[in-house]
Amino acid sequence: MRRSPIVKEMSDLLIPAIVLFGLYVQFHGDFGPGGGFQAGVIVAAGVILYALVYGLPRTQRLLPPNAVRILTSLGLLLYAGVGFATIILGSEYLNYDALHADKIRAQHIGIILIEFGVGTTVAAVMISFFYAFAGRGRS
Amino acid sequence: MFATAAVALLAVMAMALLRALAGPSLYDRILAINGLGTSTVLLIAVLGFVAGRPDFLDIALLYALINFIGTLAVLKFFRHGDLGHEGDEETL
Repeated sequence: MRRSPIVKEMSDLLIPAIVLFGLYVQFHGDFGPGGGFQAGVIVAAGVILYALVYGLPRTQRLLPPNAVRILTSLGLLLYAGVGFATIILGSEYLNYDALHADKIRAQHIGIILIEFGVGTTVAAVMISFFYAFAGRGRS
Repeated sequence: MFATAAVALLAVMAMALLRALAGPSLYDRILAINGLGTSTVLLIAVLGFVAGRPDFLDIALLYALINFIGTLAVLKFFRHGDLGHEGDEETL
């Protein structure tokens, strides 16, 4: 099998940078532009680039469609779980103040967990969109 | 000075867009859209300084990373007719 060397080398260089930037947007989202949704899309773009260069079968061996489906629900579960955890700790749904004695620390923990859930779900949904479209084959 | 640069970039983008709309062949259009993407990166960076929000550099950097995926997807679709193809070039 032979691939265009320019495309392959450029992608090998860019994919780690894209995923790293996605993580930066994820965890820096409360200080700069960004947040969970954008980070999820960026990470999914990295995976889609890998699939474009190396083909769908190899990508699906690396990240099986079932794992993507589980990740979709895990992100939602994390979001709802934080909400219910605050109820159990004796406050309203998603009232982060209950998570820690220090209010500012509590807001920080809450928003990081919520955004991580959003990011996971968005990345997984974007990847499953791509799997659904690319998996149709030539038609 | 940044505002002048922004206007110049908009003119460049308008010309690239015209080429993309008029371009006789697929490759003219692809090249025009790629150039449009590169000028978008510069425009975002310049507008960030016009608005006094250097945060925009993050967005420009991201656009530079992502820009190339769309071009690659279109080229792959026209070569193989299938986005999930393994990418071997033995048919050439």
